[in-house]
Amino acid sequence: MNRKVGYLGVGVVLGAAVTVGAPQALSYMSPAAYAAAADTYRQLNLFGDVFDKIRSDYVEKPDEAKLIEAAINGMLASLDPHSSYMDAKAFKDMQVQTKGEFGGLGIEVTQEDGLVKVVTPIDDTPAAKAGILSGDIITAIDDQSTQGLTLDQAVEKMRGAINSPVKLKIVRGPKKEVKEFSVVRDLIRVQSVRSHVEDGDIGYIRITQFTEQTAEGLKAAMDKLHNDIPADKFKGYILDLRNNPGGLLDQSIDVVNAFIDKGEIVSTRGRTPDETQRFDARPGGDLSGSKPLVVLINGGSASASEIVSGALQDHKRATLIGTRSFGKGSVQTIMPLGQEGALRLTTARYYTPSGRSIQAKGIEPDYRVLEDVPDDLKGKDDMKGEASLKGHLANGDEDAAGSQAYVPPDEKDDKQLAAAIGLLHGVKPSDTTSAKVDKSDTTKVETPSAAAAPTDAAKPN
Amino acid sequence: MTKSLSYLAAGVAAGVMLAGLSEGALQAAAAIGGDQLALFSDVFNKVRDNYAEKPDDDKLIKGAIDGMLASLDPHSTYFDSKALEDFQTSMKGEEFGGLGLEVMMEGGLVKVVSPIDDTPAARAGLLSGDLVTRIDDTPVKGLTLKEAVDKMRGPAKSSVRLTVERGANKDLKEYTIVREIIHVQSVRSHVEDGDIGYIRITQFNQEAYDGVRKAFDHFRSDPGSSKLKGYILDLRNNPGGLLNQAVEITNSFVDSGPIVSTRGRNADQEQHYSARPGVNLSQGKPLVVLINGGSASASEIVSGALQDLKRGTLIGTRSFGKGSVQTILPLGENGALKLTTARYYTPSGRSIQAKGIDPDIVVVENIPDDLKGKVSSLGEASLFGHLKNGTEEEKGSDAYVPPEKDRDTQLQAAINLLHGAKPETLKSPPAAVSSQ
Repeated sequence: MNRKVGYLGVGVVLGAAVTVGAPQALSYMSPAAYAAAADTYRQLNLFGDVFDKIRSDYVEKPDEAKLIEAAINGMLASLDPHSSYMDAKAFKDMQVQTKGEFGGLGIEVTQEDGLVKVVTPIDDTPAAKAGILSGDIITAIDDQSTQGLTLDQAVEKMRGAINSPVKLKIVRGPKKEVKEFSVVRDLIRVQSVRSHVEDGDIGYIRITQFTEQTAEGLKAAMDKLHNDIPADKFKGYILDLRNNPGGLLDQSIDVVNAFIDKGEIVSTRGRTPDETQRFDARPGGDLSGSKPLVVLINGGSASASEIVSGALQDHKRATLIGTRSFGKGSVQTIMPLGQEGALRLTTARYYTPSGRSIQAKGIEPDYRVLEDVPDDLKGKDDMKGEASLKGHLANGDEDAAGSQAYVPPDEKDDKQLAAAIGLLHGVKPSDTTSAKVDKSDTTKVETPSAAAAPTDAAKPN
Repeated sequence: MTKSLSYLAAGVAAGVMLAGLSEGALQAAAAIGGDQLALFSDVFNKVRDNYAEKPDDDKLIKGAIDGMLASLDPHSTYFDSKALEDFQTSMKGEEFGGLGLEVMMEGGLVKVVSPIDDTPAARAGLLSGDLVTRIDDTPVKGLTLKEAVDKMRGPAKSSVRLTVERGANKDLKEYTIVREIIHVQSVRSHVEDGDIGYIRITQFNQEAYDGVRKAFDHFRSDPGSSKLKGYILDLRNNPGGLLNQAVEITNSFVDSGPIVSTRGRNADQEQHYSARPGVNLSQGKPLVVLINGGSASASEIVSGALQDLKRGTLIGTRSFGKGSVQTILPLGENGALKLTTARYYTPSGRSIQAKGIDPDIVVVENIPDDLKGKVSSLGEASLFGHLKNGTEEEKGSDAYVPPEKDRDTQLQAAINLLHGAKPETLKSPPAAVSSQ
C-alpha cells in the first residue's frame, strides 16, 4: 500500500495525507506496452551502466547513496521547480512543518550577525513561562555554542522530545547580561491562523500557511470573532493571505468552505484518474454568516492561497485587494520511498471553479493596491513568481512574472489593509487609494528584479 | 572489453588512451549497488506513472546522469552521441568544412578575430574586426556563437553568403565564399628576434606533437642550429588535452627521467610515464616555458615535468591547478562518459590539483583598464566540488596575453632571459603581483 500526500507550497515544504493510492502491477502488456517497457529498460540500463562505471572507475571511492540522491535530484530538477526528493531527514522536517506541531520551547528565532536571536516567545509555551524575552540572544544550547551553527541547526538542537529538558545560555540587553535557563520541552503548535478585531467591527484573520491545524484554527478564530463582535455591528471579514506560500490542499478546501455553502471549490487534473478530482463545498460548512469578505493577496500568495482566493473570487463571495498572486497552479503529491525519505512530485494542475488555471499567471486582485515600499527595500520586495522559475510548467503564452510582496510591519502604514477596512465600511478603494485593475496599467513597481523569500524569516521552534 | 580514452583538459575537450575494464567487475559492482539502483528505478517509475504530464524518458535519464556526475567534480560529464561526435572531432585536431575564421561574440554580432591564413575566408578578403551581421539569409542577432558557427560550417564545396559590417563607417559588404576543409593548427611557431625558436601550443590534440616536431625541423634550417639560442614554449591559456601528447612533447625536450605518473583507485590507473631516449629534439638548448592562470591540465604536466627536471625556466603567473585525469568510457549507442579516474603527479611527486604550478620567475602582464578583473582565471580551487588537495589550495591567477608582441611583458622576459639577462631583473615588482 502506497500512502500519498497531496500538497501545495512554494519554497517551503508542506504536506500531509490527502489521497491513498495503490501501486498498480501490469498483468497484461500489449505489444506497444512491451516496446515501451523495452525502452524503459534501455533507459534504466544506461543509467545503471553509468552508475557502475562511476563505482568502479572514479578516482575516489564514491558515496553511493550520495550519487543516487544527486541522480534523483537531477532527474526531478529536469521536470519542474517543485518536484524534489527528500531524504529521511528532510521528509521528517516536512512532516513536522505540515503537521504544525512538534516538541520544542515555543520561541520564534531569527539569525542576526551569526547569532541566534529571539523574535518572540510564543504565548503560553515553556519559553514564555520561563521568562525568555524578545531580543534575547541565544549563545549556547546545552553547553554548545551557537556560533557557527546555521539557523536550522540551532532550531534542530532546541527541538526534541516532549518533557526533555534543554539548557539555554542567553545574553540580554545592552548590558549583555548573561542568563541561563533550563526549559522543559512541550508540544508546540505553530499558529497558522491569527485573528483580531479590527476597528471594532471587522474580523481580521491572517493565515500564514496551510498546515493540518489551519481549518481548526480558522474555526476557532471565527468563533472568537463572533463572540467579540456583536452580530448587528459585524461588518465583515478580512482574510489576509499575503506572503502565504501555500500548504495542504484539503486545508485550503476547508478554508473556502468556511465562507461558502455550496458549489465547486477547485478541481485537479493529472494524467491518472486519481489525480483528476473535483472538490465541492459541503453544505453546512459555511461559518461566515454571509458577512462581506475581503481577501488580501500579493506576489507572495501562492498555491493553496491561490486556490482559496481564486475560488472566493469566482464565486463572487469575496473582493480581492492587493497585488497579483504568485502563480503556482500545480499540485505535488508526497510519495514515501521505503525508509529512504519521500518523493515530492508534481502530479496535477488545479483549476478554479470557472475553469481557469492560474499557473504562471497568478490571480489578479479586483482592486490593485500597492504598498509604499521603503527605499532600502525597493527592488527587493518583489516576488518573481512562478513564471520566472526555471523549468516551470508553461501555461499558454500569457505567463506573468513579478509582483509586489511587501507588507509594512506597522499596521498604520498598510495601505492594502486600509483599503480592505475602507471597503467593508462602504468606501470603494478606487475612490481612495488606487485605480481599479486595468491590464494596461502595469507601469508601477512590477519589475521581476529580486525576490523576497515567500516565507517569514523567523522560524518557530 | 571496453575501449576507453583518457584525456586532460579544463574547459575544452580533447583526448586518447586505452584502458581495460572487465565485464566481471561490472557485474559484481551491479550486485553491490542493487539497493541504491532499486531506489532510483522506484523514483523513475513513479515519475513516469504519476507526473502531471507525460515525461520524456530520455530527458529524465539525462537529468539523472548529469545530476549524478555534477555531484562528483566539475570535470566528469556525460556526452550524448551528438556531443561525443563533437568531442571526437575536436580530439582529432579540428578539421571541418568551413570558412577559416576565428570568431567571437560582441554586442550580439559575430566579430572576426582573425581569418586563418590560406583559407577561403582569408582569400575572400575578410578582415580582423569585421562584424558578421547575416549568414545566408539569417540575421546573426539573436543567435548564440555556437549557432552562428554551426551555420558557417558545412560540407566542403558548399557555399555560404556573409554580410559584414566593416570599420567605423560600418560599410556593408557581402561575400559569397565556398567552404573548404579547415584544419585548425594547435601548434604555431616562428623565429623570435632572429635566434629564438618560439612554439605556441593552443591545445593538446592528436596533432600537437606532430606540430612541435615540425617546428623543430623548421628551426634547424631557420635560424639554424648554430645560431639558435634557445626555445620559448608558450602554454599560456592552453586548457589541456591528451595525456600522451603532453608526454611526447615533454620528451622532445628531455632524454631521460620520469615525466608524469597517474594514480587512481584501480591498478590499471596507476601508470608511470618516462622519457624514452633518442627522441629529444631540442639539442639541449635553453628553454623558457610561459604559463598563466589559463594553463591547465596537460599544460601543467608539461611545465611541471620540465620544472622538476630543471629542463626549463617557467615564466609568467601561477597555472590553473587541474591535477586530475579524465577517461572517456564509451556507452555503446548512448554516447560516452567522461569520468575523472586518476590524479597525476609530477616527477618530484607533487600533485598540482587546486594549487597550480608557480613559475620560477613571476612576471605579470599590464592589463588594460577595461579588462581589469575580467581576465584572471579563478582556477580549479574555485570550481564547485573540485577534488581537494590538502589545505594549501590556491585560487586566482592572471590569464591575459596582450595581443601586441611588444607589450607582452612575459614574452619579452623570456626573450631577455635567453639573451642572457639575469633572472632577478626580470621579475615583476611584488606590488604588481596581485593575487585575486
